[in-house]
Amino acid sequence: MQQAEQYWLFAAFCCVVATLLLRLVLRERITIQSSLWVFFSLAALVVLAVVPDLTTRLAHAMGFALPSNFFFALATGALALLHVHTLVTLSRTEARSITLTQELGILREKLDRIDKENVHARSSMTAPPALPLPKKADAPHERT
Amino acid sequence: MRVLIVVPALNEESGLPPLLTELRAVAERDRFSAEIVVIDDASTDRTAEVAREHGARVVSLCRNLGIGGAVQTGLRLALREGFDCAVQMDGDGQHPPGELRKLLAVIDTPAAPDIVVGSRYLHGEGFQSTLPRRMGSGWLAWVLRLLTRQRTTDPTSGYRVYGRRALKLFNWSYPHDYPEPEALVLAKVAGLSVVEVPVVMKERQGGASSISILHAPYYMLKVTVAILLAYARSWHRIEPRTL
Repeated sequence: MQQAEQYWLFAAFCCVVATLLLRLVLRERITIQSSLWVFFSLAALVVLAVVPDLTTRLAHAMGFALPSNFFFALATGALALLHVHTLVTLSRTEARSITLTQELGILREKLDRIDKENVHARSSMTAPPALPLPKKADAPHERT
Repeated sequence: MRVLIVVPALNEESGLPPLLTELRAVAERDRFSAEIVVIDDASTDRTAEVAREHGARVVSLCRNLGIGGAVQTGLRLALREGFDCAVQMDGDGQHPPGELRKLLAVIDTPAAPDIVVGSRYLHGEGFQSTLPRRMGSGWLAWVLRLLTRQRTTDPTSGYRVYGRRALKLFNWSYPHDYPEPEALVLAKVAGLSVVEVPVVMKERQGGASSISILHAPYYMLKVTVAILLAYARSWHRIEPRTL
């Protein structure tokens, strides 16, 4: 009974973590795609916590003497997988960031050059003839 | 032949003016037309303004990418704008512009190699670097020779000329941290030809090296692993459309 209560607590903890993650997804702080692995891992942990018999049977089937060892190995494996997934995502993001930085630099240089050419072309164009100054007779009479 | 000279620079406001002035004088003397582009790798000083004042094109990167990212930016620009080759040279005055014609003379031949590397150790003239650096360079040269079965004397030299095929390859993929030795392996794996030409180099005129004594062993380990991994990429076929 004591052991079952501990499992329920752990399941509740997993649910809280999942809820926090869900809030982050809804606020668009993290993407669904990148958090899907975490949700699946948490769901698996909840199932194992709620159904302890399943954990025991799986542990014995996998060759573990104690379910706790099996659970520990599973959690370590899941964390390692999540870490690799994060590494792949980070590396891909870094590669994209480098490409974008390079493209931005090249485009900005091109834009500056075009701007400079436009200014140069405008300044080298012959200025329109100045309007003749109004003669004194044509000049509007000043109000007195 | 259209040549783009790529000068990656980080806080080189003092080193750039003499380099750019000398480059112009050399281009006039040796009668080749070249455009100069300074890749400002998010400098905090007046590097970009100084380069513009001296007539160079300036690509300003909005964040620091390191030497590899900066060089690749220049190579991408060269490929996109249809240059026949791109010259890579440091902005700290180590690579005298007067030696440029030796490199360009090799790339401007009918049977031109894809990459020409200026080697300070081939004839042993000029500044030969410090003993630990020479030892490190010797180790990398030995590893490269083992993998590529070609003698390389100066694998860390950043004084290079890239032909069109090399521009296409490095537009697709270019190493980022301390990239010179790794780029040579990548080139060999892709089937590009690399030739070394003896040049005279000078001591760094300004700024500080990114590799300190404390970082040197880590650098050697990192570059050696990177070279081995780059060689392992030959197991994966490089897309033919790359070249």
